[in-house]
Amino acid sequence: MSHEVEILLVEDSPEDSELTIRALRRYKIANEIQVAEDGAEALDFLFSRGSFKDRTPSQTPKLVLLDLKLPKVSGIDVLRAIRADERTRPIPVVILTSSKEERDLIDGYKLGVNAYAQKPVDFEQFSETVRQIGLFWMLINQPPPPGAFTASKG
Amino acid sequence: MNIRRQLATQATMTRSSKAIAASALIILICIGALSYWGEVRNENDREWVTHTLFVVEQLQEIRIDITLAESGQRGYLLAGEEKYLKPYQAGLDRVGQDMEKLQNLTLDNPRQQEAVLRLAPLVAARLEELSAGIEIRKQSGLQPGVEAVAHENTGGKWMGQIGAQIEEMRHTEAELLTARLETAAASTRKMKVLIACGNTLAILILLAKGFVIHRETLRRNLAEENLKQSNERLERRTSELSETNIELESFAYSVAHDLRAPLRHIAGYSSVLAQDYGPRLDEEGLRCLTTIVDSARRMGRLVDDLLALSQIGRKKLTFQETALGSLVAQVVEDLVPECAGREVEWQIGELFSVECDPGLMKQVFMNLLSNAVKYTRRQAHALIQVGQSMQNGERVIFIRDNGVGFEMQYADKLFGVFQRLHKARDFEGTGVGLATVQRIIRKHGGRVWAEAALDRGASFFFTLTPEMKVPEQAEPVIHEEEMHVARS
Repeated sequence: MSHEVEILLVEDSPEDSELTIRALRRYKIANEIQVAEDGAEALDFLFSRGSFKDRTPSQTPKLVLLDLKLPKVSGIDVLRAIRADERTRPIPVVILTSSKEERDLIDGYKLGVNAYAQKPVDFEQFSETVRQIGLFWMLINQPPPPGAFTASKG
Repeated sequence: MNIRRQLATQATMTRSSKAIAASALIILICIGALSYWGEVRNENDREWVTHTLFVVEQLQEIRIDITLAESGQRGYLLAGEEKYLKPYQAGLDRVGQDMEKLQNLTLDNPRQQEAVLRLAPLVAARLEELSAGIEIRKQSGLQPGVEAVAHENTGGKWMGQIGAQIEEMRHTEAELLTARLETAAASTRKMKVLIACGNTLAILILLAKGFVIHRETLRRNLAEENLKQSNERLERRTSELSETNIELESFAYSVAHDLRAPLRHIAGYSSVLAQDYGPRLDEEGLRCLTTIVDSARRMGRLVDDLLALSQIGRKKLTFQETALGSLVAQVVEDLVPECAGREVEWQIGELFSVECDPGLMKQVFMNLLSNAVKYTRRQAHALIQVGQSMQNGERVIFIRDNGVGFEMQYADKLFGVFQRLHKARDFEGTGVGLATVQRIIRKHGGRVWAEAALDRGASFFFTLTPEMKVPEQAEPVIHEEEMHVARS
């Protein structure tokens, strides 16, 4: 039996995944990190479909780190799907991307993203960014009580 | 074809066309006047013809009058009845009136007047004779009366003379009539010829004008067509250019954006290498690794600056009334960490509020003021001034420092992308900051320029939108500052 997934990292670049995971582990923020390499895989995981059909859907990750430029289903569409479903709506989603396009920022916030951060080129700054995001959402932020959204509709 | 030359030709054409129109008008007016004058003369001629006919009729009347008197007298002579005297008396009365009328009608003609003078005694003599016959009949009865008249036998003589005289006058009038009819016909003919010729001329002139107008219209249409075509070409070129510009911007953006990921990986893995395997590397190995990390970091800044610059190019400005003073205050606050351990004096003057994009304007001040902080680094006492002034009726913002400055001969390179006037070893930077400033200022419809001398500080000036322009006043700066104080 696997541990409960703490962070879903939606990232198509294995290098970025590795650096992000390295930063998260370095500061001991999370150990159980699930990587989805495209938007479709992320949605399969969240809604226990496809290769994740055996997963318990009520065990939602504490945080989704979402890249925007993804194969198959874009990050914005993943966000839209997360916010459209009662079960996944409360999951904190932080967009972590190379893009600082106004369009992306506007779309992200319109769909109710919790935070938006640009990946810094400098690794020290990158690590610091990941650390602060992880620290806040994993340790400081209080999630809603378990089952609050799955039990009753609305 | 040269449009200006076309227009000049057109102007000449218009002038000649006006001259043609004027001459046609003058000719038509002349024809009108001549027609009127000819008509008046014709009427005069016709009146004279009528006059002649009147005279002839009057002569006829006189003859009838005398005949009437004669037949009345003869009736009386034969019958001796008073009733026959009535026509006699009527003829007598009328002949007097008719002679007078004739006299008046021929006043214009001396020859006929003389003829009237000759006719009058003949008529009088005949009337006298008639009267005498009546007297004899009254006094002496039928026989002596008839005899006396027949005996005298002068009636025929008088009447012959009267007839001859009247005939002569009639003949004269007939001659006059012929002459006058001819005159009238001749002047009518002349008028006809005049009107025909004049109208033909006017029509010809108008046709010529029509032709000239037609040619002018053709030319103008041609010129307009040319103008339209060159406008269209210009519009096409402009839209092509702006498309190309947008394409270039997007290209620059995507290149910079796509460069970021591998760059981040180089930087990231170098750092990981340094952290995890640092202890196993010797000094030279560590130095190389540090250089890789530094280079990647510098390139990252470069790419980020480039991205920001291309984003400004594509960004739509959101204008709002902005107090530049508070923008500057925020930027100075943000620069506090960079001034740590240094003596930096800020002199911020009164700054007005303007319509601008506050985010971009803050970027302008950030770039200019961080430059000022950077290039005054070697001064024991750095002085940075921000203020405004009036130059040729235009409001100008300036940022002045007492730093290293630059040589004015390179001033034109200052605002170019990646252009740097200092060695990276002396002053770090990407060479994008001032290019960004210029792009933002230009997007606001303003200008930016700099004045400096090596080691004697630099001054940067910029203007903004045309709204910043104020009308020339006696003390515009003071006035503006008062306005500013009143607003803030």
